[in-house]
Amino acid sequence: MRRMAGIVLAALLFACIMYAFTFVKTYDYNSSDYYYTDPIEGGKVNETVTGHYIENTKNETGAINAVTAIVVEYRGFDTLGEVTVLFTASTGVSMLLYSLHQRRKRREANLILKEGSKIVLPFILLTGAYIFIHGHLTPGGGFPGGSVIASGFLLMMVAYPKYFLKESRVSITESVAGMIFVLIGMLGLVFASYFLENFLSLGDVGRLFSAGIIPIIYIAIGFKVGAELSGIMNNLKGVEE
Amino acid sequence: MVIHPVLLIAIPLLFAFLMPLLKRAKAVTIIILLFNTLLAILMFHNVYNNGPLYEIIAFSPPIGIYLYVDNIAALLAVMINLLAFINFLSVEKVEIKFAMLYLLAVASSTGIVITGDIFNMFVFFEIAAVSSYALVAWKRDKEALEGAIKYMVLGSIASVLMLVGIAFLYSEFRSLNIYDIMNRMDEGSVLILLSFAFLLTGIGVEAEIFPLNGWVPDAYQGAAGSIASLLSFGPSKAGIYAIARLLMIFSWQQSYDLALYVGIITLLIGELAAFRQENVKRMLAYSSIGQMGLILISLSMLDSTDYAIIAFFFLLVSHAASKGALFLLSERKGFGSNASKYAGIVSVMSLIGMPPMAGFWGKWYIIMGAMQMEAWWIIAAIVFSSVVEAAYFARYLSTTMQEEEHASIIAAYPPAIMATLTLLLGILPFIYKIATIGGVING
Amino acid sequence: MIWAIYFAIASLLAIGIYGVITKKNLMKIFISISIMETGVNLMLIAIGYIPGGTAPIENGDFTTYVDPLPQALVLTAIVIGVSVLALALVMVINYYEKNKTLEYRRLMKW
Repeated sequence: MRRMAGIVLAALLFACIMYAFTFVKTYDYNSSDYYYTDPIEGGKVNETVTGHYIENTKNETGAINAVTAIVVEYRGFDTLGEVTVLFTASTGVSMLLYSLHQRRKRREANLILKEGSKIVLPFILLTGAYIFIHGHLTPGGGFPGGSVIASGFLLMMVAYPKYFLKESRVSITESVAGMIFVLIGMLGLVFASYFLENFLSLGDVGRLFSAGIIPIIYIAIGFKVGAELSGIMNNLKGVEE
Repeated sequence: MVIHPVLLIAIPLLFAFLMPLLKRAKAVTIIILLFNTLLAILMFHNVYNNGPLYEIIAFSPPIGIYLYVDNIAALLAVMINLLAFINFLSVEKVEIKFAMLYLLAVASSTGIVITGDIFNMFVFFEIAAVSSYALVAWKRDKEALEGAIKYMVLGSIASVLMLVGIAFLYSEFRSLNIYDIMNRMDEGSVLILLSFAFLLTGIGVEAEIFPLNGWVPDAYQGAAGSIASLLSFGPSKAGIYAIARLLMIFSWQQSYDLALYVGIITLLIGELAAFRQENVKRMLAYSSIGQMGLILISLSMLDSTDYAIIAFFFLLVSHAASKGALFLLSERKGFGSNASKYAGIVSVMSLIGMPPMAGFWGKWYIIMGAMQMEAWWIIAAIVFSSVVEAAYFARYLSTTMQEEEHASIIAAYPPAIMATLTLLLGILPFIYKIATIGGVING
Repeated sequence: MIWAIYFAIASLLAIGIYGVITKKNLMKIFISISIMETGVNLMLIAIGYIPGGTAPIENGDFTTYVDPLPQALVLTAIVIGVSVLALALVMVINYYEKNKTLEYRRLMKW
């Protein structure tokens, strides 16, 4: 019965999606078939949204990487929401694990793993920091960088059964980084005209110190994501004795 | 004076981030919710006098994101924040994490209502959903966990389906702005109809609409009273408003028909299932499903009659306030004090649709609309469901009135305030004027 | 070529929904949901693909780029998926502590 329902629904979903794909057209953002309408003023604009991003990313945001420019500048509000989802989940995780005092016996790791992870940890952290600092120039950014940093702490947790991060430090990092993101958005409201609008100079395009608020926000996101993912792993590992 | 609607979202987020450093969770949360309510009222005043309000974020749309506030959106923002404030007063022991999740749920529900970008709406839906999963599991007992897990599984499927709908919509229009898409929507292609179906199913999970609402009774049963109340006036009402916006984007006859059939099925199934329940919270949850069906029916008439928008408004607000009060009361066995008795009776009368409560006007206008359309079977379904409702609520009142249980003042007064709101809304005629002026999207 | 990817997307979504409906083990249910999320992320990328395009990082020689917007959306969708999965795993741990089993039979009960 259950299996039949599963097969029928899966087949239905498969058919719907394949059928819908037959209507998807190949897209050319330079062709004049595409346009958008301005939702505030009304009226046609002979340009596509994609075309606008590709043409103007450099002179509007100062970033070379168009994806970064979209994530942090053009659609920065989504990213604020996304950081909030991760924050919500990490709050939920620490709330739900608070009551469970589980103590599992873990075997000590061998000498090579223990000493090796000590040597590798600074390099992992450095790579993570490099990735989120150069988010506006190369592929990567705050989320991958933060995940790399968290993976460094994961390595330590695997190698040392008694290794725990201080809960209070993790939560202070999260709070301060989140506060910086929201405050930069509000400063945009004060010094420029819109929330999250760039209010710093764009600088020399292609250099590390350029692109206005993008590197600052990405560094905050890097710290926040690193702290949140490490915090989740810390909680999942168990309670400090 | 310049009003920035974005502050309705940014300030709760900021203080939710800072809560672990501030420590005084209850005071901070109450101040923020009060501030938000006042800001929303100011915003409504502004929108009412000067027409719809825009707030561009970072870049002008559709390149960037913007918030769009019209009469109904502003009223909903007022309703969500005000009820959240009243509801929070009833929580006796506030932990820091509880306050954080509560603020995030309220801010994201407000965000769903005022955003003008479909992907941004998805992001806010996710914040609302993730914070609700955690809040439902708050009590950490068996029931709460089962409800939360069921909510989580269905909610995750919903988010996938919603994203599929957004992807197809984007492939057709190459833009994510709701009003850009609406301006360019001409005739119905199959791709767009499919993407509408995916989006309706996805949002329908949050809005408690028929196909995937199996989580509703379990989650409400497992959650504490104040959280069940939050779910019923926050995320679910924002979800039904998102469906209203969707119907406005895809304004063709097929999508209205689809909404009508889904609404009727949801109404009948919800009310009949509520009639069979023994547990009070489960009964209220099924009754919520039925009411959501009724609201969806009123939305499906948007194109055909002018009464639909008034009916939508009255049903939405009356259901939010009175269900919130009943969920708060359901924490205890009986009503106990006079304030609780008053709250219970007024809320039940409003839900059944007795004059002069707000719920009566909702049902009145929806029946007027159906008469104008000469759709007698809709009227028959609504009258039948009201009779069923009256039957199970009579049973509910007869059991709860007899139980004597002493309640503290903190627990007794918030439901009474909510019930007073329902009563005022039904009596004062100025609301009618507000509701007629604002269309869901363009006034 | 693009049809192979479309086929993969539809298959991933169908496999995921089949798993959610038929499996009773909570871990398997959440793995199925992850499979669905992978499918939908792939779908966004496929819709943003432009034949002959390169990654949208502007450094010189290229003229055609793929659509950068869906890539930004996928970044958001991945993070949301990870967050939900983390919370789900914690709920599963709690559920196991209370019931000493991972079987969950109430999912399809209405």
